[in-house]
Amino acid sequence: MNRIVVTGIGVISAMGDSVAENRASLILGKCGISLLDMFPSKFSGSLPVAEVKKNNTALQEKLNAFEPGVTRTSLLALHAFEEAVANSGLSNNQLSDFNTALVSGNTVGGMCLTDEMYEDAKKETTGSEYIASYDYASVNMYLQQRYRLNGNINTINTACSSSANAIMYGARLIKSGRAQRAIVGGADSLAKFTINGFNALHILSPEICTPFDINRKGLNLGEGAAFLVLEKESDCPGKKIYATLSGYANTNDAYHASSLSDEGIGPFKAMQQALQSANLSASDIDFINAHGTGTENNDLVEGTAMLQLFKTVPPFASTKANTGHTLGAAGAIEAVYSILNLHHQELYPGINFKEPIPATGLVPVKTYQQKGLEHIMSNSFGFGGNCSTLIFSKP
Amino acid sequence: MFYIHQHSCISPQQTFPVSRIDELSDAVDKKLQVIEPSYEQIPPGMLRRMGKAVRIGVGAALPILKGLPAPDGIILGTANAGKEDCVKFLNQIIEYNEGMLTPLNFVQGTPNAIASQVGILTKNHGYNITHMHLGLAFEHVLTDADMQITENPSGLFLIGAVDDISVYNYYFEDKGGWYKKETVTGKQLYDSGTDGSVAGEAAAMFMVNGNRTGAAAKLIAINSLHHTDAEVMKKYLQQFIINHLPHGEKIDLLLSGENGDNRLRVFYDAAEEITGRETAIARFKHMSGEFPTATAMGLWLCCRFLQGDEIPGHMIKYSKPEKGLRNILIYNNYKGIQHSFILVAIP
Repeated sequence: MNRIVVTGIGVISAMGDSVAENRASLILGKCGISLLDMFPSKFSGSLPVAEVKKNNTALQEKLNAFEPGVTRTSLLALHAFEEAVANSGLSNNQLSDFNTALVSGNTVGGMCLTDEMYEDAKKETTGSEYIASYDYASVNMYLQQRYRLNGNINTINTACSSSANAIMYGARLIKSGRAQRAIVGGADSLAKFTINGFNALHILSPEICTPFDINRKGLNLGEGAAFLVLEKESDCPGKKIYATLSGYANTNDAYHASSLSDEGIGPFKAMQQALQSANLSASDIDFINAHGTGTENNDLVEGTAMLQLFKTVPPFASTKANTGHTLGAAGAIEAVYSILNLHHQELYPGINFKEPIPATGLVPVKTYQQKGLEHIMSNSFGFGGNCSTLIFSKP
Repeated sequence: MFYIHQHSCISPQQTFPVSRIDELSDAVDKKLQVIEPSYEQIPPGMLRRMGKAVRIGVGAALPILKGLPAPDGIILGTANAGKEDCVKFLNQIIEYNEGMLTPLNFVQGTPNAIASQVGILTKNHGYNITHMHLGLAFEHVLTDADMQITENPSGLFLIGAVDDISVYNYYFEDKGGWYKKETVTGKQLYDSGTDGSVAGEAAAMFMVNGNRTGAAAKLIAINSLHHTDAEVMKKYLQQFIINHLPHGEKIDLLLSGENGDNRLRVFYDAAEEITGRETAIARFKHMSGEFPTATAMGLWLCCRFLQGDEIPGHMIKYSKPEKGLRNILIYNNYKGIQHSFILVAIP
């Protein structure tokens, strides 16, 4: 069988610094959202966000990462990358093999350095150590140089679905014979750039976000990173396999630059085509890790599309109530959570929800449950109408 | 392997809507900037809100989509698109001390804006992606298209790449030492013996599928490498040619991404060594300038030559290919670490 399997996972988020810590927090229904504290901003102490409670110095010391120009986005990525690689047991030789691919997505890159970038754009003299770090590709270039990676390396941007597409692309590189294994994921750090951007769009919630609730007031931004190691099943006899990546799809809503169409054409097609690619029917899905940002627009449209596709909507929840919206990292973080659902045969309590949206009547899973789970769907939708759905299955 | 059909390119040269590349437009202030058309297909209200990258990208894409069935996907590459808006927004954040800002620059600053605008304008619900891996962004577009057409042999895809010179990315690249200190014109670029190149920009778009009938060119193979050692690159290129050049064929033309940066010469010399005396050599960075997705314009030029256009004298570095040009190798190096290998041939 040439199924694409997941042999390693790594994650860092407001829910913890490792897969084990994230799972423990999910089981407890912990909310990682608190008032902005990690960097000075007009929003410090007033805006709810989901921070990784380790400053850059602490991350650098932990990771022994003192290369000039390294950014917070790269540090978060490195943290999750190292966990996933160790978890899969990849050697340094395997990492630098020409057949090992690295694909990741992010939406902030080095622009977390708002103030440094401003200074660099003003100065007439030479630039700072960060001059080459502002680019989105700087995250992968950093990992490439640190680990001397020689295979296919790619950076993808489809806004908030970036890392879901990175996972798809890595799987397709393996299927087409362009890679034997792919380390895939995404990272984003909290930044003045995104805080002010989403604030200008009036979709930041002044309170802790409440996905799929009638009184939802918007999203909370979060930060983090996650990576998965993908391999061909036939290449890993005897290796621990967490899940198979059994289906995926990428579609476009083609409606508006920053909101979804009322009918949810993009989300509907993404879920439908992912089912087709996995050779599954809607009734086979046991749980949906929804995009569920907590905005007026997303949760209504996503619910509408789910109702249209599923005769009976399966159990679902949005872990953005726990992690905030981690933008380019969200697809990968939620992929790791979906894999944890499958691996431990358990559903985590959806939090912050009180009352359903009348138009859909959909109620997320509210309590911890141990349950037989075969197939889990994970949705990621982004600006520009970029909708992606992944399906993970029990190996 | 796939076939390239319609193609278009908005560049610093006269490439759009008709090609007159024998007349060379020179760099001004170390920048080769695109000659912008009138964009008749873009609604004026939308056009006013578009930054240059979106404008040239959408402007190059719409004409080749016209009259064809809707593509099954839109696959674009860019490293710089959106940066102008991003930096404008960052500056507003600082200058207005995180006050009430308008979201226009933030939304337009997302690098997937070109692929999404083409999607919105053509109501295309298919596969939609933006590859952004710097000097290999377009190479991943080609790789993605190659995989898509293998997965869906009847599929039709719009692919392409866009990069623009903005005040800020010019400034950052200049500070990073990637542009020449001195002014150079035309082919002087290649003989300067100094570090750096000149800034460039372009949008190039292609309709591709698995159908040979009526095709302009055949994309035989695409590969990329990250490495700083020219010896490793040489071995990789040699193997690439062995693996993909059809038996009994030769490479008639090497389209070299040589950009006048003395530090990169070792890689371009290595590529010439591999292709050897039998292969003619042409260069194009004096037409496009240097930018991360310049190979997209390179591929567009290859399509023209494979369709019979004459290679202008100002492009020729060594020899001129005999009549019956069949196989072209594009080799490009970005900043000494990202290598691109593209093999393109007559259909």
